[in-house]
Amino acid sequence: MSRTIEPSSNTPLDSVESIVAGFRERDYVCDRSLATAVFLALRLDRPLLLEGEAGVGKTELAKVLAASLGTRLIRLQCYEGLDVNAAVYEWNYPRQMLEIRLLEARGQADRANAHDIFGPDFLIRRPLLQALEADPDGEPPVLLIDEIDRADEEFEAYLLEILSDFQVTVPEIGTIKAARPPRVILTSNRTREVHDALKRRCLYHWIDYPTAQKEFEIVLARVPDAPEQLAREVVAFVHRLREADLTKVPGIAETLDWAAALLSLGSRELTGEVVDETLGVVLKYEEDIRRIRGDTARSYLQEAGATA
Amino acid sequence: MANRRDPNDPAIVRAPWGPEVDGRRLLAESVGFGRALRAAGLATDLGASVDFARALTLVDMGQRDTVRAAGEAVFVRRRDDREVYDRVFNRWWRRRGRKRPAGDGPAVPTDDESAAEAEDGLGSPGGDEGTLGDDTNRIDGIPMAIESDEDADGEIDGIIAAPTAYSSSELLRHRDFDRMTAAELRDAERLVDLLEPRLELRRTRRYELHHHGRLLAPRTMLRRNMATGGQFTEWIWRRHTKRPRRIVVLCDISGSMERHSRLLLRFVQALSAASSVKTESFVFGTRLTRVTRLLRDRDRDRALARVADTVNDWAGGTRIGESFQDFNRHWARRTLRTSGVVIVVSDGWDRGDPALVATETARLRRNCHRLVWLNPLAGTPGYEPLAGGMRAALPYVDDFVPAGTVASLERLGEILAGIRSSDVRRGGDAAASADAGERQSSQAIRSIAPPAPLDVASDPVAARPLSPRGSTR
Repeated sequence: MSRTIEPSSNTPLDSVESIVAGFRERDYVCDRSLATAVFLALRLDRPLLLEGEAGVGKTELAKVLAASLGTRLIRLQCYEGLDVNAAVYEWNYPRQMLEIRLLEARGQADRANAHDIFGPDFLIRRPLLQALEADPDGEPPVLLIDEIDRADEEFEAYLLEILSDFQVTVPEIGTIKAARPPRVILTSNRTREVHDALKRRCLYHWIDYPTAQKEFEIVLARVPDAPEQLAREVVAFVHRLREADLTKVPGIAETLDWAAALLSLGSRELTGEVVDETLGVVLKYEEDIRRIRGDTARSYLQEAGATA
Repeated sequence: MANRRDPNDPAIVRAPWGPEVDGRRLLAESVGFGRALRAAGLATDLGASVDFARALTLVDMGQRDTVRAAGEAVFVRRRDDREVYDRVFNRWWRRRGRKRPAGDGPAVPTDDESAAEAEDGLGSPGGDEGTLGDDTNRIDGIPMAIESDEDADGEIDGIIAAPTAYSSSELLRHRDFDRMTAAELRDAERLVDLLEPRLELRRTRRYELHHHGRLLAPRTMLRRNMATGGQFTEWIWRRHTKRPRRIVVLCDISGSMERHSRLLLRFVQALSAASSVKTESFVFGTRLTRVTRLLRDRDRDRALARVADTVNDWAGGTRIGESFQDFNRHWARRTLRTSGVVIVVSDGWDRGDPALVATETARLRRNCHRLVWLNPLAGTPGYEPLAGGMRAALPYVDDFVPAGTVASLERLGEILAGIRSSDVRRGGDAAASADAGERQSSQAIRSIAPPAPLDVASDPVAARPLSPRGSTR
């Protein structure tokens, strides 16, 4: 559900209410407890660790936050083996080589010293350094450290250092410290437990699946062309699925995908056939699809129809 | 607190939401709340309490839900803590509301609070069952020791192993471990010593420089050759670093396993204590219990005693299918990440539906790198996996190993070291072709012939693991 969010009018996010409203303006429906966590993270200058099942809008929140603050979003996607060279900085070796050759050609090589080559000009700035070096006068950027649970523990330990002091030491240049610390959002899908020391530096919020009413609002906000009836039925059906005994229950992202898929198929309402044909948008495991398709889907539809 | 009204006192802060508040008082409240949370089992520290005090000056203190959410953001660090937090918060909030009319002045509460409380139905004096008698435990109205509270919902500390839905056939029985004798301890440790250096390694995504490496290390080469102006004068190589795979142990502690479970648990414990290997351990009878943290205790006897206290389906029936299902659904993704080795310790006697065992074992196999099944019965001459659960699970098992004694467990080391990887990786294919549909899995059960009986004493082949394929050949 990636999309571009226009950093239009930036509302000052100076209260819980204004965060709820500001996010709503950008089609992100959030409840008060999440807004409170965001508000406190902003005011206390603390990173915010968001956990929750896949597809509940953790990454999206960072995007919306950046747009609401009218600032840049810097994203660091974590993976196993992520190291300083990919996350913080790297020297631009080819350029350094060229520079040496150039100096040689001009006959100035003897006067060149290490500072000329290992200077800021030859530094490739990776996301973490970008976030620290941002314009000191402007609004600090939002740094999204996505899926921290996928990084290995070595990186987590390194991150700990950055998140406590918001500074990085490049041996050849010196210490780079953020004039104003970036707003940090970390997300985790809990494929492993994030270390306690890192958690201690963060505020924490677990994002639950929304209530049916909230999810209905989300569908209307994000798939604006969807007829209300269809949205209501889709949400009711997905909520029924979440109670079922499945390998992987659908998240909000799947609900939205499904609503959009149905819309592009021209369906105005959910029927048994339509559900069977498009179930792959919502359920991603063959065994789950096999289980729901057919009679089960029809009985869910009836239940959903009763509540919708 | 006497000079609370002194306008020059730096501790007086004006909250944006209401009248001025004594910062010291606020801090005391926060620290008291943090302490109550810690008493209830949450891992909070003083820093979190200070954050909470700061947070309270930023949000509307009169609104119950806002204060609750603020505290949650600060104190809660994992999903499972939320329940405990909510319970402690509710009690704390009630007390705050209650002590106000006692003439202590409008310290923290604001005027909005009574309205908010009235909405929540919590503001009515004497409206709850709280014990006013333990006011002595508090200093200046701060709830000091909630653990002494005798509310009905008081048992919030420790690991909760409350009996759940299972009822009739489940035999709940506590079991005490005797203290380990020195010889037993040595046995278990010897076993792990044997095992540890032989564990199968997993190639990580990190590199180390090594002159036997097969990959060039361009970054380091460029850097080192800078002195020569970019003329490469030496090759520098790197290779992937390696680490032992994670191990997840699922140990059956049902009645039929009673004779073996002590030895095996000791083995599991010794494995958990070995620092170089990440081990997660679970025990199951009629339900699955995670015992990883309990077994990590340095005092081994105490660790086993704790396991004994926590688990209450000792020596009862077995529900392999349900236990695996629970593991697959709630733990597999968090503990395995598809690269771990799963060791199941069970005799395969199962009361449940064999089809469920087959489905869930196949799923378990798909979730891990390798599935090893230790069966204490398999060492006896003439053993055939006829028990319903064992038959159902066998097609998806990579290595089927007898595990009656310490001696036979030693063979496990060989398996885990991956020495036999060429002839035993079979469960994966079966699991890949098995579908959730019952039809397929029941076919899979029928398709395997019972392994030929083995005479352990005379047959040299018995020294190697009895794998499904090896035995049918």
